[in-house]
Amino acid sequence: MSSTTAQSLSRATTATFEELALLFPETELSAEQAAAPLDVAVSVDFRGPLTGRLVVRASQSILPAIAANMLGAEESKQLPLQRDALGEIGNVICGHVLPLIAGADKIFNLAAPIVHEGGSLPQREEDEPSARVMVGVEEGRAEAVLYLFKSTGAGAETAHAA
Amino acid sequence: MAFNVLVVDDSAVMRQMVVRTLRLSGIPLGTVLEAGNGEEGLFVLQEQWVDLLLLDINMPVMNGEEMLRRLRANPETENLPVIVVSTEGSEARLQVLQEFGASIVRKPFAPETLRDTILRVTGVTDVEYYGAVPVASDDGDF
Repeated sequence: MSSTTAQSLSRATTATFEELALLFPETELSAEQAAAPLDVAVSVDFRGPLTGRLVVRASQSILPAIAANMLGAEESKQLPLQRDALGEIGNVICGHVLPLIAGADKIFNLAAPIVHEGGSLPQREEDEPSARVMVGVEEGRAEAVLYLFKSTGAGAETAHAA
Repeated sequence: MAFNVLVVDDSAVMRQMVVRTLRLSGIPLGTVLEAGNGEEGLFVLQEQWVDLLLLDINMPVMNGEEMLRRLRANPETENLPVIVVSTEGSEARLQVLQEFGASIVRKPFAPETLRDTILRVTGVTDVEYYGAVPVASDDGDF
């Protein structure tokens, strides 16, 4: 997989946090952000010209801010809605990154986001991430990981969101 | 005139976000109805008068594209203004939806974008009636 994939994931991740959650991801993580646990995860499976999964892991501490900006102050206090809001972040990142890497003329079908307790990365044993992006958000951090199930022989590319 | 709006999206969070953005947009709203997929949406349209449909694409049971096809095949809803609100990035799929008379708003979107698109697709041009349709404030979130 070319470096374009990591750059595309970086663009999609940054744009989504900025435009959907109204938060500004930082490419250089502070010590506090880097130490924050990634304790909640969501995944979005997709199929089409490429088949795979987009996983977003995040610090629980940033979820109230995401939910507040997306849904309003009252709703942001409800933990299920906070996690669902992160699921929509994953959905939008996935929807943005796929045309960037496969071409705007390709059609993909996205599954509904799934929340994974504990932040464990949902993956098959043989899967290697095709691209990975880590950003600092508020007092915590978030990571987007793209798996392309049919790709072989490529290791993970790491990119800072630009 | 207040718009009766139907929001069809399988994500409760996204429906909530769309409704919130609608309220922030300054568009005068009547009844705001919700449905979780295209099939539910068609059922709502049989029961309620709706001026505008905001429609997601990727949904279980019946997706937005199929719902749009059925709407256009029904004389009672063939002219209903439809805005597809989606993460969809495929130009091929978007072109199909536009051929069915839908306008496209990509997620994420600003209240101003939604307002301008609604005024365009509904054909509302009475600026004196609506004025500038100012975007409502909500603690500075938008």
